[in-house]
Amino acid sequence: MELSVLQENLARALSAVGRVASSRTQLPILNNILLRTDGNRLLVAAMNMEIASTQFVGAKISTPGSITVPARLVTDFVTSLPKGAIELQVKGTQLHITSGKYNSVINGLGAEDFPELPVIEEDVAVRYSIATGDFKQAVAQTIITTSNDATRPVLTGVYWHSHEGALYLAGTDGYRLAERKLVDTTSEVAAIIPTTTLQEVLRTISEDIKEIEILFDESQVRFRIDEAEVTSQLISGNFPPYRQLIPEKTETRVVLPKADFVRITKISGLFARDSGGSVTITADADANTISLHSVASELGENTSEADASVTGGGTVTLNSRYLSEALSVVDGDTVVFSFSGKLAPTVLTADVKNIDYKHIVMPLKS
Amino acid sequence: MATAHALWQSVLGEIELSVSHATFATWFQNTELLDDHEDNITIAVPNVFAIRQFQIKYDAQLRGILQKNGIDVKQINYVVNTKGKKTVINRETTRNTTPRAREEVAQIITPSKSESTSASLNPRYTFDTFIVGSSNDLAYTACQTVAANPGNKYNPLFLYGGVGLGKTHLMQAVGNEIKANNPSMRIVYINTDTFVKEFTDAIRFKRKVSDKYRTADVLIVDDMQFIAGKEKTQEEFFHTFNELHQSNKQIIISSDKPPKSIPTLTERLRSRFEWGMAIDIQMPDFETRCAIIEAKANLSGVELERDTVEYLAENIKTNIRELEGALNQLLAYAEMRGVNPDVVTAEGLIGSARRTRPRHLTAKQIVDKTARYFQLSVAEVCSAKRDKHIVLPRQIAMYLLRSELHLSFPIIASELGRKDHTTAMHSVEKIEKASKLDLTVREHIAEIREQLYA
Repeated sequence: MELSVLQENLARALSAVGRVASSRTQLPILNNILLRTDGNRLLVAAMNMEIASTQFVGAKISTPGSITVPARLVTDFVTSLPKGAIELQVKGTQLHITSGKYNSVINGLGAEDFPELPVIEEDVAVRYSIATGDFKQAVAQTIITTSNDATRPVLTGVYWHSHEGALYLAGTDGYRLAERKLVDTTSEVAAIIPTTTLQEVLRTISEDIKEIEILFDESQVRFRIDEAEVTSQLISGNFPPYRQLIPEKTETRVVLPKADFVRITKISGLFARDSGGSVTITADADANTISLHSVASELGENTSEADASVTGGGTVTLNSRYLSEALSVVDGDTVVFSFSGKLAPTVLTADVKNIDYKHIVMPLKS
Repeated sequence: MATAHALWQSVLGEIELSVSHATFATWFQNTELLDDHEDNITIAVPNVFAIRQFQIKYDAQLRGILQKNGIDVKQINYVVNTKGKKTVINRETTRNTTPRAREEVAQIITPSKSESTSASLNPRYTFDTFIVGSSNDLAYTACQTVAANPGNKYNPLFLYGGVGLGKTHLMQAVGNEIKANNPSMRIVYINTDTFVKEFTDAIRFKRKVSDKYRTADVLIVDDMQFIAGKEKTQEEFFHTFNELHQSNKQIIISSDKPPKSIPTLTERLRSRFEWGMAIDIQMPDFETRCAIIEAKANLSGVELERDTVEYLAENIKTNIRELEGALNQLLAYAEMRGVNPDVVTAEGLIGSARRTRPRHLTAKQIVDKTARYFQLSVAEVCSAKRDKHIVLPRQIAMYLLRSELHLSFPIIASELGRKDHTTAMHSVEKIEKASKLDLTVREHIAEIREQLYA
């Protein structure tokens, strides 16, 4: 293999895929990045047992070929080089990298030992094209509630599924739940994408990308972001039937500016550290206020209040951390907080009418 | 045709030889042959990435090996094993929850009922006939506890000690006791040798490894040290062990060494053996030996005179099997000749029985053997050096000179190049104490002793 490539392109590709290469794998070659010529492009790829990440880089190719080199070293080296053309040359299992006055030889391993990159059959796959902004927001809104408890694998991912003509995303850890309606669709899909994959995709998206293409097959998903692709296994298993958890009607509804709710939640959270984050929320319809009360048995206590428009009224106890995380991903300037008594699930939405995103938090029993 | 499982095991065995360990562990472990019908081979792999590796890289190789095993494959299908979990342990449990595996188990349980009585337990070995002394009372108590509530306490129970010290007797006694209390329990007693042989046969004749071990309520495995170095067997045993242990079935294992001193025992087995309780059985002391001889003689309906008993106990120190042998020889001789089995007869016989071993243990031999055991030179042991790794062997040598040859302290001191007899006194005292408290010291002494009398 012999080719020349622009430093900025190669550095971007290497740092994008390099995160996937893992040193914690039992297969040592997975710690390497695969470089392989593909027509007049250079394929840069890394994979682990769950995710494969690939990038194509335009290059001037003199001799086709391939090699794998240790991810950290090659990435760190190429990113430290000055901008401009870099010459890559493979001799045996060594990669010679030359850029102006910088010369280095990196010992690698033959590409034939690198595992085959996963494929998705394009003509059978279910496809979606989603605007980058929507994608980023929807993913951020749902991965926040996923679990990292490996004993229940289905909860460690986001459930992408079609329901009544729309694509929905849902994530839950058993204590809270987030559901986001993404786009209208006619195709059917039901797949659980690992949270780690979605995080990786979020990191791979660069500023200038307008649209992301998503392809599902039976057991894999691929995100195509311009010249980059992230392919991942899906989590097998059935996602719990979560819809029955979302209350249709609630007794109490509180509407207030999001900034106010965020502030009082943060303040009362300070006094809830000893009690596992427990804060008691009281909505008063006569005074039109919402107040949060927390007690730190040894340190003191706090009551914080904000003006709000309240219908109904009542009291519920929540984990303040869950509440503030929920508020951090709800869109818009106002927020609607609804609940029914002390035990029923509570709902946060952006607006009374805009219910594309619902964030459910289960009350604490107290 | 071989069952799918056995066939797949042998295919894997062959592949393991041709790919690197990491590759094997990554792609081939946790795979399963689901359907071995001639035209429709289906292989379950742990994840979808693996399917691709198999299709592109290993398909041709698999075909070749299957062909060698007499299966001409047109196409191999690969599917993701949806129930498969990442760890091996889980794979084994889920394997049994598939209907197919359960059927197999069910088939094996029914005919094996009659087999339960034929578990090769020797009814002669009971707790009543076991002589308890200070060297084995811990093991005895542990075994009785286990026999009273199998699976609940000390699981696994690991007994270790030199040859002929009663490991087999104790283990069989546990088996017999449980059998007597719960006749419905399936007790399987095997020698590790048998296990290894059955396992290799299963591979060779492509049979499925028998499930009789996995369905046992009590599994007794004798002479575990023979599993050392046999990796596949260790793996099979590991799965069996896990399955039994998880369902609270009692496992009793014996070996001539503690788990940590069995060479080439894989770490996961070792840690499992050390999980429950590991007890050593020591060479019985003089009093226990006397009790054993009396008891054995009584079993044969002979009353021995006190001095005959003492003579035998005094002269045969290595193990109980030899002790029993000498006693039987004496009794048989006496009966044949119509003489009294007294000291004189015994002296004549034992003299011949002991001719094979060094009649006179010398001080030099003890120092020599001790030094060699610790891989030191005699000069080093006798030198004035006070490095830790030399001091302990030196003290053990002094202790042995005292305990085996009853030498006086000044002589012991001079044997090891010391001037002062108090050094010897101190050393002997120290090792005496240490041998009671420190397991490793006790082991060292026992092993050197064995070498001295071997």
